[in-house]
Formats: sequence, C-alpha cells, structure tokens
Amino acid sequence: MNNVTNAVSTPDLSALVIDDEPQIQRLLSTVLEANHYRVTTASSGQEGLSTSARQRHDLIILDLGLPDITGLAVLKRLREWTQAPVVVLTVQDSEPDKIEALDAGADDYVTKPFSSGELLARLRAAVRRADRGKAEEPVLKFGNITVNLTARLVTRENQAVRLTSTEYALLRLFVQHVGKVLTHRQVLREVWGPEHEQKTQYLRVYVQRLRDKLEPNPDSPVFFLTESGIGYRFSAS
Amino acid sequence: MEHVEPQRRSFRFRELRGVPLDASTSGAKLPTLQQSKKRGSSLFLSMRLTDNHRIKAFLAPPARQYGAALAVVSLVTVIGYPLQRWVNYQTLALIYLLAEVLLALVVGRGATLLAAVLSAAVWDYVFVPPMYSFHIEDLYDGTMVITYCVVALVAGELTARLRTYQETELRTKLLSESEKLGRTLLNSVSHEFRTPISAIVGAAGNLRAQGELSPAQERFIAEIESAGARLNRIVQSLLSAARIQGGQLQPRLDWCEARDVINASLRECAELLKGHPVETKIAAGPQLARMDFFLMQQALSNLIANAAIHTPPQTPIEISARLEGKELLVQVADRGPGLPAPELEHVFDVFHRLPNSKPGGVGLGLAIVKGFVEVQGGRVSATNGANGGALFTIWMPAPDNPELPEETS
Repeated sequence: MNNVTNAVSTPDLSALVIDDEPQIQRLLSTVLEANHYRVTTASSGQEGLSTSARQRHDLIILDLGLPDITGLAVLKRLREWTQAPVVVLTVQDSEPDKIEALDAGADDYVTKPFSSGELLARLRAAVRRADRGKAEEPVLKFGNITVNLTARLVTRENQAVRLTSTEYALLRLFVQHVGKVLTHRQVLREVWGPEHEQKTQYLRVYVQRLRDKLEPNPDSPVFFLTESGIGYRFSAS
Repeated sequence: MEHVEPQRRSFRFRELRGVPLDASTSGAKLPTLQQSKKRGSSLFLSMRLTDNHRIKAFLAPPARQYGAALAVVSLVTVIGYPLQRWVNYQTLALIYLLAEVLLALVVGRGATLLAAVLSAAVWDYVFVPPMYSFHIEDLYDGTMVITYCVVALVAGELTARLRTYQETELRTKLLSESEKLGRTLLNSVSHEFRTPISAIVGAAGNLRAQGELSPAQERFIAEIESAGARLNRIVQSLLSAARIQGGQLQPRLDWCEARDVINASLRECAELLKGHPVETKIAAGPQLARMDFFLMQQALSNLIANAAIHTPPQTPIEISARLEGKELLVQVADRGPGLPAPELEHVFDVFHRLPNSKPGGVGLGLAIVKGFVEVQGGRVSATNGANGGALFTIWMPAPDNPELPEETS
C-alpha cells in the first residue's frame, strides 16, 4: 500500500468500472490510471453491459448494488460473453450477495471501505489467474510443502505426507486455485459431488485435517484461510 | 441473514419521499404489531413502519358499536310500526334481518349478537300476534321466531369471521411490507454511509501513495485513516443494533469450526490487539456447532475489542473454546480490573457503560454480542475470572456431532 504508484503491473490493461457512485468512480479511476490501467466507467448496469459488449476489457470491477438492475444480474449477463476477471464491490453484512456473486462466476470480492493497496492486489491476482488459464503446473510448492500433481505425491520437508483420497482431492482443488475464494458450495460440489452441496460439516472437518497435516501451526493457518461465512482461500505465500 | 431485495437500490432515500409510505411513517406510534419481541434483546432504534390507522379504521369503539346496534333496531321498529298497515309481520322479520346483516358488516361480534337478540325480542313483542306480548300462539309463529334468531345469529357470526380473516390478511400484508421497508431502509442507510467512508479512506490511502510526504502530512493522513476506520465501526454498530431491534436478523445457521471463527475475529481486531499478548486455547479435535459465521465473528470480535480497550496495555487476553455436553463454549478472559459486582447484570444493556470507562464507544458493543448470540439460539454471560479480570462466555447449542462421510484409504 505504501508504493501504490510504483507497483509493478502489466502496462495497458483495460479496466471497466461499473458503479453508480461518482465518488467511487473518480476514486477507482484515479487509482487504476496511476497504475497504468486504461479505465472506462459505466454508471448503471445497462450501460456497463452495453459498454462491455462493444469493447473487450481485461478486467471488470462491478458494484453489486446498482440502481437499475442488480449487480448479480449484470454479472450473469456478462458471463454469457466474457471470461474477463470480474471483481465485485460489496458492503459488509451482505454475505449472501457475495456468495451468490462468487457462485455466478465472480473472481473475487472487495468489501467497502477498502484500501487501494488491497484492491490492486486483488486485481493483479485475478488478472494473473486469468492469464495462466487452465495450463496446469504439475508441481506446486508452498512453504516447505511440495504437491506433485502427476505423481499424486505430497511432501513436507521432503517427507511424504499420507493423505486420504478425499484429503488429496481437496488439496488439489485448493492448489489449482491459488489466491481465489472458493465458496463452500463450489468446494463441496467439486470434491464430494452436487448432492452434498449443503454439507459444510464435511468441509470444516477435512480442511482442519489438511491444516493438521500441512500447516506450520494448524490453529492459526497461513495456507488454508477461512473467508468468513463464505468459503476458503488458499494462499501460497 | 437478510435476503436482499432484487430492486433494493431503486429505493434510495431521495426517492422514498414521494412514495405513499408517508402516511404510515407519520403515524409514529407503533405499539400493537410488535411481532418478534423474543428475537434479540430490546434495543433502541425502531425501524418498524406500520400503518396502524388502516387496521384500526376497521372498527369503531365498542360503546359506539352497541349504540349503533340499539339505534338500528329502534329505527327498524319505528319505521315498521306504520308499515303494518301494508305488510304482514313476516315481511317485517325480513326487514329486521336485512338491517341485522348490514349492521354485522360494520360492527363486531358482540354488537351483532345484541342486535340479533334485541330485534327478535322486539319483533316478537311488538309485531307477532298477540301484539305487545312475548306470547306465541301457534307453531307457525314459533318456528318463525326461532328461524329468525338462528338466521340473524349465523349471519352475524359469518360476517364477523369474514372480517377477522380480512383483518389478519391486512395485518400480515402490512407487517411484511414494513419488514421489507425496514430492510430496504437499512440497506440504503448502510450503502449511503459506506460510500463516503470508502471515498475518505481510499483517498487518504492514495494521498500517501503520492510519496514525498512531510512527517506532519503523514500524521494527518494517519488521522484521516483511523477516523475513517472508527466511523466505519460506529456505522457498523448502529446498523447491527437496528437490525437486532427491527427483528431483521435471519441467522444462517451452518456448521462452523470454533477455530475459524476465533481466527477471523483475531484478524479483525489485529489493530486493537497490538500491545496485548493473546493466548488461544482450543480443545483437541473438531469444535463444531451450528452457528451463523458472520454473526458469531462479530459477537466474538466485540468481546475481544472490549477486552483490548478496557484493560491496561501489555495485559494478556485469553480466548478459549471447547465442547461441553451439548454446548460449545467460547470464552474471552482478560487480566484487567474486572467488573464491579453490581455491574455484572447490566453490562449487556444498551448504552450501558461502566462508570469509569474510557471515552469513545457508545455502549452498543456488548448489547450487540447478546443480540447476535441469542438470535442464533445461544446465550452469553459476564463474570469475573479466577485470576481477576473479566470473563465473558458464549454458549452455543451443539446438539450432536455432525454426520461425516465414511472413507477408506
């Protein structure tokens, strides 16, 4: 946050800001332009949709509370034609909105009031993930842990770690989505199947097991982070 | 928790003014429709906007209803008397019945009953031969009188039932309208406050990013940022209190791990906890209970913030969690001065502050803890710990161990 203007970012990424509040628009434009984004703004959901349909953007920032149509509806429409990363802006107390947005294809969320540093970090991470696309790296390292996806091998300080098949499936999902928030539903659906979407208890127990086996201090995790009431975010740093 | 209306933002403050809600909002007295007293503790901000007039307008006061019943029966009798020359007494019964039914449309059960009995008596006494006596001569007249009574009573009863039904419908409708309005208002208020706070905090951060600042400028920016953060916390508290009071909290209960909630709260309070060693003691194995993660995190954060603010620097704060019987206990213990015995009962009251507490804060934090915990079916207590210092305990129901998938591997 101290070096916002000096932060390294890919030059000339185009960003679309959909927010009806002129103050927030001005603020975001200033921050983004100072960090070499080309910024287009839209003051309503409809305007955002038509702008996005006319020209391609590398990144979309979408306020969930818009005056004309809901941010969620805008997001669903956007996803019909663009896979550009979408970061949604929300306020506290709106967890259901955040979950719905993430389930509907948002890449991340930022809660107002936010710092520019936090916002820029989220944007950079979202763009990076989008660039990397589906190309899978066979070996991932975080801390003193190595995950070899081809050999299905997990080591901690070069010692093999024994994981059950469910634990391994969960770990693989997390490492394949480094830095991304995964909602409870998304994880449950992926690892246990759609019929177990509501069984958060599975997730609580299995994430704790992964933490016990892989975290330096399982009671205050640094890799498998809880997103309050929403899901989990795997952090490799 | 709350479900956000799809079109909520079309209800901004400026647009609310013209909407025909004025009538309801102006009738400031809102006593009868307190629907959810059990939920949450009684806080201060009433967001209930109910139209009482419309319900009350249904019925006049009882004295006037009975007066109307008497008046109608008398009127029909006075009109009926000269009519005897042209119509027979059976037809007069029909006129009484007509009046009775019309009356039932506008008065309550009691007055309808009175009118039915009275009109039957008057009709029998005045019009049924022999006149001016209650004596009934033949079977035919007897049947007439009994039939009249039954029809009048049934008509009155049916009309009364119909009205009760309509009333219930209207009440339900108004109640849900008012809840929806309350929720919409709260969301608007939340948004209207958060937007300028975001602009202030964000702009201050950008200012810092310009680099080359004098120490004084740095200090001013830090002041703006901390004031913005504090303003945000106050807005958060007020909105939480309003949600509890308005019965707007719909907890989304789901299995949560105590460790996760504690970590999230510690992260939230990181700034306040600087200078306080924190120790967490969590029992081995999963510590699961069905809770609303967000409400639980807010409740625990408020307890931790309370401990951090009201104890001397460098004194430790201990947070512990364990399952005990069918409950999950989460405790926050500090080594501060503790709570004076007479205060123990009142610390969770709204706007209650200890006599010598530090300036700042409005006395909502602990009231919100109680409101948030109780709405999830838990309870909370304040005592003094064995080592001195205050000890706050949250109990959450943890009925049975959750079902877990079988796994072999």
